[in-house]
Amino acid sequence: MTRIKFRFARHAPLKHISHLDMMRLFQRALRRSGLPLVYSEGYNPHLRFNLALPLPVNVTASEEFGEVYLSETVSPDQFVSTLRAQLPESLDLKSASSEDYKAPSLPSQVVAALYRATLGREENCRAGSSQFRAALDRLMAREEILVQKTKKKKKQAYVNVRPYIIEAYFKESGNESPLELYMLLQAGSSGGVSPFFVIEQLEKELNCDCNNKAFWELHRESLYTDKDQFLQPLSEGM
Amino acid sequence: MKVIDHKIERLLWQVQKPARYTGNEWNAWRKDHAGIKVKMVLAFPDLYEVGMSNQGLKILYESVNRRPEMLMERAFAPAADMEELMRAHNLPLFALESGKPLAEFDLVGFSLQYELSFTNVLNMLDLAGISLHASERGESEPLVVGGGPCAFNPEPLAPFFDFFLLGESEECLPELLADLDAFKQTAPDRKELLAKLSEKEGVYVPALYRPVYKEKKLKALERVDPGAPGVIKKRLVKDLDSAPYPAAPVIPYLQTIHDRAVVELFRGCGRGCRFCQAGYIFRPVRRRSREEIVKTAREQIALTGYEELSLASLSSTDYTRLDELIDELDRALAGEQVKCNLPSLRLDSYSIKLADRLHRGKRSNLTFAPEAATERLRRVIKKNISEEEIFTALGDAVDAGWQGFKLYFMIGLPTESDEDVAAIAELCHRLKQYFRRKAGRRISISVSVSTFVPKAHTPFQWEPQLPLPEVTRRQEILQQGFKKMPGVDLSWHDAETSFLEAVFARGDRRLAAVLEWAFKLGCRFDGWTEHFSMSRWRQAFREADIEPEDYAQRRFEYDDLLPWSHLDCGVDKEVFIKEHRKAFNLDADFEGEFR
Repeated sequence: MTRIKFRFARHAPLKHISHLDMMRLFQRALRRSGLPLVYSEGYNPHLRFNLALPLPVNVTASEEFGEVYLSETVSPDQFVSTLRAQLPESLDLKSASSEDYKAPSLPSQVVAALYRATLGREENCRAGSSQFRAALDRLMAREEILVQKTKKKKKQAYVNVRPYIIEAYFKESGNESPLELYMLLQAGSSGGVSPFFVIEQLEKELNCDCNNKAFWELHRESLYTDKDQFLQPLSEGM
Repeated sequence: MKVIDHKIERLLWQVQKPARYTGNEWNAWRKDHAGIKVKMVLAFPDLYEVGMSNQGLKILYESVNRRPEMLMERAFAPAADMEELMRAHNLPLFALESGKPLAEFDLVGFSLQYELSFTNVLNMLDLAGISLHASERGESEPLVVGGGPCAFNPEPLAPFFDFFLLGESEECLPELLADLDAFKQTAPDRKELLAKLSEKEGVYVPALYRPVYKEKKLKALERVDPGAPGVIKKRLVKDLDSAPYPAAPVIPYLQTIHDRAVVELFRGCGRGCRFCQAGYIFRPVRRRSREEIVKTAREQIALTGYEELSLASLSSTDYTRLDELIDELDRALAGEQVKCNLPSLRLDSYSIKLADRLHRGKRSNLTFAPEAATERLRRVIKKNISEEEIFTALGDAVDAGWQGFKLYFMIGLPTESDEDVAAIAELCHRLKQYFRRKAGRRISISVSVSTFVPKAHTPFQWEPQLPLPEVTRRQEILQQGFKKMPGVDLSWHDAETSFLEAVFARGDRRLAAVLEWAFKLGCRFDGWTEHFSMSRWRQAFREADIEPEDYAQRRFEYDDLLPWSHLDCGVDKEVFIKEHRKAFNLDADFEGEFR
């Protein structure tokens, strides 16, 4: 049995679909591809396939990952060319590698993700870049940012997501280029925070009186795993 | 590839399920508009997820687009959030494939599946910036055409449509588009063009007819143009094997209601249940050959990657030698990990056996529609299954390991008594006890009860619907019966939406004014409980000075001129009269009448 890990980008035309839609899209593409797929045993066999981390609706991405098990040996290059033929052009399959199939699953490896939010130019909030920067400083200085989460039996609970914002900064840019916010956020099974939530909190801190809703374009730059307490891009070794 | 228009793009991040509006799905057609002679949009007056589950849409999309000189794109009703933004930003309704406004096409065709989507038709025309009334449309505006089951009584929609296509369109629509292109070469005006089109079989141009009413009744249908045909005959596909059928249907990104490969076994139904419009308007029964079914199933699975295949028809087990077909499909799809299902099962042991053979994986629920709970009432509607057959069939299913059943019933059927209504709960109670003795495990039963809606072109077309308070009273009897029955899940349809459906199902042109008012008052998605507002509808009826009860509860006489009597579904009036009489005179000819 082979385990293949693959790397792909999601471009704007496909950014409107949800994680479950992405899962179905890949599963159907894999089924059309004729690759020797592996299914789980049992009553409802399902394809042994994973995406590293759900990609939110309205977010594009340059370095996403998935993994799939195959019953026969297929070279990474052959895998890429076979699957590429079944994927829409906005889903850009870039490369693949063979993985040790006893290693932990791809989703369990993910610990953080880097997002870039670009402030659109039109019909937008009129706050200037210095106001945005000051608002971000205030947000990052907070010790607690609470999110209401509905747990089992409809119990409401609050989670402090401030520790999940590992880093957030505006990129130094000239007056001409749009404002870009980078956010390195904890993600994966040990908890995380949505980039949309961070932006929402930033806008609250900004408290601009212009009444124009800001339009942010969101992009996920990369995913990280934990390597001896340091973040290492998931693309390492590919 | 189409780049979504910047204007649309800027709205999408603010709406639910933006992929409803982006198109570009796998297997979608992408045709360059340059050089194409006839351009059509198929407009489905409901959400994307509903429209993309419709098999008719997929068939027509294939039948037109496989011809290089024409194209068909798709448009769906935008959800409320999107509509609000589109209106705020002055963005017209656009087609998914090219992003072009509907008004730029030659034809806009509406799929008319359900009476409660009529306000969405008006709303979509309005959003597209196309004049609502056909009589007010200018030369440069698209022709607006309607088809589908509701085109068999389209009278409430008549003023809003240039023409209707009666019957099955997969063969005649491409022909008609080619004709349209040829007619256009002679550069006629709109009126001449429509007169020309009306000569084609299956084409109904409502403006060529004028109804005359007297004392609330339809007295005559006058021909405005003496050349217009007196009766419009439906179009029909003779041979399903050679008719267009998609081998590579569009795969939606979003999960739709029926998100699977579908191969049609046969069209039409020989059962003749007296309430069922589909059973009459799709006559006669035409089957697809086994070879063709297996071939299409293989192609669809290979070209879509779907994990589920549905064998569609109005009554699956009526397909002759279905067991052999299943064997062949088994061989053809071996190793593909495809789940097959057989909807529209009849409640008999043979059906259970076949469903079971086809099934892989967990045996969860089977669905059946006994429609009525007493043998007497089942005979009235010609759903001829005995109580013994029901018990044997469901017992077999329990033995085979099925874990539950969903059962569909109707209330308000002609001749129904309180006992018939109470019998639904009693039948479920007996089934429950039977399952307990037999299985020794929990078998779930869920019951869904709708209200009878008399439909045009059925033997019950002359029958009234029960008055609303009476429906409510019978629903209470129903709930009473299920009160002390834990483990049985009961749901019932809203009586008011069924009432409205009945008004329009047998309506005439005077209802067009009501529709227009309802649309202006904000009625949309009336089939969706969360959007339906009876008070708005009541106001629309008041504004148009029409009593809806006059329509829903009207009993027609055999001699009455029916609003749809000029539309020929292929079944003679005498057949409907005979079937109607039989329904009320049961003992005379029950035995042996069946098939």
